[in-house]
Amino acid sequence: MTVALAPHRPNVARQSLVLSRRAVLSIVRQPQVVLPSLFFPLFFAALNAAAFDRITAAQPDFAAQYPSFLDFLLPATVLQGVLFGSTQAGTEMANDIEMGFFDRLLASPVSRTSILVGRLAGGAALGAAQAVFFAVVLVLFGAQVTGIGPVLVLVVCSSLLAVGIGGFGVVLGIRTGSAEAVQGAFPLIFVLMFTSSAFFPRELMTGWYGTVATYNPISWILEALRELLTLGWSTTEAVVAVATSAGIAALAIVVALRALRRRLVLAA
Amino acid sequence: MTPIIVAEGLERRFGDLVAVDGVDLSIDAGEVFGFLGPNGAGKSTTVRMLTTLLKPTAGHARVAGYDVVRQAGEVRRAIGVALQDAAIDPLMTGSELVHLQAVLHGIPAKVADQRGKELLERVGLTAAADRRVGTYSGGMRRRLDLALSLVHEPEVLFLDEPTTGLDPMSRMALWEEVRFLNRERGTTVLLTTQYLEEADQLAGRIAIIDHGRIVKKGEPRALKAEVGSPTLMVEVDGDPLAAAEVLATFGDERPSEHRALAIGLTGGAQQLTAVVRALDEAGVVVRHMELNAPTLDDVFAEATGRRLEGAADGSEQGAVEAAPA
Repeated sequence: MTVALAPHRPNVARQSLVLSRRAVLSIVRQPQVVLPSLFFPLFFAALNAAAFDRITAAQPDFAAQYPSFLDFLLPATVLQGVLFGSTQAGTEMANDIEMGFFDRLLASPVSRTSILVGRLAGGAALGAAQAVFFAVVLVLFGAQVTGIGPVLVLVVCSSLLAVGIGGFGVVLGIRTGSAEAVQGAFPLIFVLMFTSSAFFPRELMTGWYGTVATYNPISWILEALRELLTLGWSTTEAVVAVATSAGIAALAIVVALRALRRRLVLAA
Repeated sequence: MTPIIVAEGLERRFGDLVAVDGVDLSIDAGEVFGFLGPNGAGKSTTVRMLTTLLKPTAGHARVAGYDVVRQAGEVRRAIGVALQDAAIDPLMTGSELVHLQAVLHGIPAKVADQRGKELLERVGLTAAADRRVGTYSGGMRRRLDLALSLVHEPEVLFLDEPTTGLDPMSRMALWEEVRFLNRERGTTVLLTTQYLEEADQLAGRIAIIDHGRIVKKGEPRALKAEVGSPTLMVEVDGDPLAAAEVLATFGDERPSEHRALAIGLTGGAQQLTAVVRALDEAGVVVRHMELNAPTLDDVFAEATGRRLEGAADGSEQGAVEAAPA
């Protein structure tokens, strides 16, 4: 005597939502995992501000736009935190595969998009929260921002970048199925940050360093955010920042979906 | 009755390794079917193919009327799956996981919460429902795993080694639950196990799998009857050769553990006194002797030339069958 359950249809939106909720919960419930991504960027900011604050005085143009070196560092600090934190999505994906939770998902009628959305939404939420956190801390220490609009752009870019970097992390997680392998790729984030104009004005760079920084999309986002945060609202700069971040996010999603499909074809 | 699980020539290779080598199955709705075999025999790989997690490299299979490759989505809606390593997120609570599983199956929120409560109560986890799974014991995890696989009231339930590593109490509780499901709800159950007793107790029909092939299939009772004669196990002091010679006159040799000698006692228990007399006349000193009615282990031994008992004490737990990269 089977008790008839009303025929049910799996719903992609509900699935995505419940998996996103799980991703956020897993961050909230293991704060020790995200603490380093909050602490280290502040450490770098303090170090750089102490080291370079007086150099800015020697550059009148620079000092005019950035009265404190912290003003210059604010977007870099935020993005650094976001980039550090968003590798977590890849690690979690690899953990799910290692642990077998991924199999549990695949054996249910879950849409493959929901798996990815769920994974990346946690990162997006974390990215936004980090942006607010860093902005508040740096402002408390004397950085200045021109208004709420630029800060909103900062938050949006953070979320998008978290999706982007998280997406590439997920690709690694899917390809390797090993959380350690994902974490092993972590230094790439450093390379990405340090070859951009995150910690040093591009006008003062020379040779190949300047060239690399010029083509590093992180530089484009950072410089647009700097203009917005120190000079005030500019639609052009806002579009550059958001579009670049969105481009990275879109690319990551496409690659991650392909990796997911590929794994499903090979394994399933 | 039309079979609810059908496999024809199901095969899975990993490189050169043939993990599953042409498995044919036909399981009727309402059966409890046991897949018995040692570690690495291909049980889990077969289950992974039947549950759409792994693509067969040859052959095909239908579950609940749907092809496991071409209609994987339909299969996933019809089946409940509890896999070997009880993959449960340790950071979530029991009730959160039940809710998640229900949503994945598209069950409306209200129904999901009600069913979740009922299920957790059924498996005795009401008190632990709001605790994180990381704090659960092994038995509790398996019970939660079972509850999760039942959220959408599946027609077919796959249990991959549901009691490996469990204590006897938890094992019995799980058996009871499987029997209940099968009896009251008519759920078809395919379970894999390396425990003879489990297959004997639970399954109406079993298949013995070894090196990726099904070597025997049928009802446990019929299979045991097929073996026929009981097994006589003899341990002797001193030279076993003389004893072996005597025993050979009473029946064919059977695989045995340790240094014991074993034969199928052709004439049955009536022959026992004759055996003892003959051994005595040959000057054999008997240290231990036992006569056992045929067990599934004998069935296994006859089919494979090896014994499963002892080899499958769970000591090799965690030995994973070749997994795809």
